[in-house]
Amino acid sequence: MIDKSRSNPAISRRSVLKAMSASAIAGIGSFPFIKPAFAADPLVMVSYGGSYADALKEVIADPFTKASGIPVQILNTPDLAKVKAQITSRNVSWDIFDASGPLIMAGSSAGYWETIDTSIVNTSRVVGGVGQDRVPNYIFCGGVAWNKEQHPSGQPRNFKDFWDTGKFPGRRAMRNRVSETLEMALLADGVSPKELYPLDVERGFKSLDRIKPHVRKWFEQTPQMVTLLQSKEIDWIYAYPNRIRVAQESGIPLEFSFDQTLNLFNYMAVLKGSKRRRQAMEYINFALQPETQARLADKLGLAPVVQGAETLMKESSRKWLPDVSNPNNVFVNDEYWGAHYAELDKRFKEWILI
Amino acid sequence: MLRKKIHLQPPLLAFAGAALVLSFIFFLVPMGFIGSYVGTEEKGVVDGLISVVNSRLVRVVFANTVEISVSAAILTVLLAYPVALHIVRQKARWRIVCFSLVLMPFWTSILVKSYALLIILGDDGLVNTALRALFGIDGINMMFNRFAVLVGTTNFLVPYAVFPILASLAAQNMQIQRAAEVMGASPLRIFWSITFIQSMPGVLAALLMCMVISMGFFVTPALLGGRQDMMMANIIDMYTREILDWQSASLISVLLLVFSGALSVAILKIQSRTGA
Repeated sequence: MIDKSRSNPAISRRSVLKAMSASAIAGIGSFPFIKPAFAADPLVMVSYGGSYADALKEVIADPFTKASGIPVQILNTPDLAKVKAQITSRNVSWDIFDASGPLIMAGSSAGYWETIDTSIVNTSRVVGGVGQDRVPNYIFCGGVAWNKEQHPSGQPRNFKDFWDTGKFPGRRAMRNRVSETLEMALLADGVSPKELYPLDVERGFKSLDRIKPHVRKWFEQTPQMVTLLQSKEIDWIYAYPNRIRVAQESGIPLEFSFDQTLNLFNYMAVLKGSKRRRQAMEYINFALQPETQARLADKLGLAPVVQGAETLMKESSRKWLPDVSNPNNVFVNDEYWGAHYAELDKRFKEWILI
Repeated sequence: MLRKKIHLQPPLLAFAGAALVLSFIFFLVPMGFIGSYVGTEEKGVVDGLISVVNSRLVRVVFANTVEISVSAAILTVLLAYPVALHIVRQKARWRIVCFSLVLMPFWTSILVKSYALLIILGDDGLVNTALRALFGIDGINMMFNRFAVLVGTTNFLVPYAVFPILASLAAQNMQIQRAAEVMGASPLRIFWSITFIQSMPGVLAALLMCMVISMGFFVTPALLGGRQDMMMANIIDMYTREILDWQSASLISVLLLVFSGALSVAILKIQSRTGA
């Protein structure tokens, strides 16, 4: 039997406990359950964080508060699981959900959004993407991007090139989700952009089989578009130009090709059971004013969704806009994904693993 | 050997009580909520379970998860043992320095560590650049594969393994080793027959803790792994947030919990048999 009384005294249980508790205290600093208190009941909007949230605050939320007297609180990360939790527990604390197509469509088919009140929200000038329970707030796009310090001789500029591993041998990176990826695969395989939907799923996966060995990383997070190129771990990546623009402005030599892009809507929706439904509708209407749209587009390198906003934009930001009239480009069909995302994404994730 | 039943003294109970209340509120109650989703109106528990178990995605990812956590736990213990042995042989002042060296990465965010590994292990990273410059080797692929996941995971786990091993090393009676030395045993013999055997409870505790912790890994496989390194947490996230299929998500979580629980029981059994 071990004689504990003669154990080594310097490493006492106490010193280990001290070390452990110090690390526990470090953890408490990020305690997520404490909510900040607000004087007036603000309109709560949840959206993607970072520079995007800063721009929303400056261009839309603050002027809206000044005009209407309604304070706006912007939260990070549009998480559909939290929407589901709020709605099923009938304790809705978010009002506006600002997110990309797959999330909005999944929420729409689950019935999580209020009908858009067209007596408040003027949707007549919106170029497309308006649904009964959702309104787009900007258009973004995805295409091929690279680091200028690599492969100075030539770059793939469209999805066919991206798939052409004979002409462009190198490491590729794509998103690890089925939407956008399947569209890319079909366009690369020669499907005409006009006849893309409904997607030929079998052909799409066959085309993906060909690129699979050349894809080094199926990335999860949007910021990885920049980090993977910056660290030169990847030669060509499917990326969003607004991310590439921000990287360029901070001196990272990245480049994006507008020769072929997938164009996508980002949407706003109001949570079912929101206590500030009317104010939320007013906010959405405010966000659709041409001046507001132009300023947001200038700031973020995104395309406005209302007619007349483009002419109000700065010349320098216009070159970052997705070309909606280019026949090579495709608008991602969110209704299609609303109906097929769950089933196809499961198949895609399985395909990736095997 | 005499085995005494341990009774908590009243003042100690107060300390343990706070922890119990905390783990009740922040673990058992949420687990209950998760458990309440295993069956829905459209699909009962049995049907849900069948579709989860029949899913090739779930099966492959489960095998991945077990493979990664078991190998990561073994690697971690192999790496942590010499560290603990070194620390235990230091003088008091050095020990504090060693402690903080072990704890520093323990406090660092896992995101930061993952990105740091990209800089070290990447194609254009420190290791490959050095290899190219020194030996003219054309770089080794160390990123976005199982290797990177194991490096990231062990890097995270080493502190968790150092402390239990350290505790069981420090609790040893040095007289036995001295006696062995007097009787002419070689240092290697002393280590294997005395030090190592007596530290087995710590080693097993470390193995168990590392395995259970790494079963829930999420960020490391997503950032450092390749396409085949998806783990259970990534799939649970997909079901919860992307597909909103909370039934499958909660079934998978419960299965994972049961598996880790069974594993813990098995290891604790072995631990009690080693005579700790």
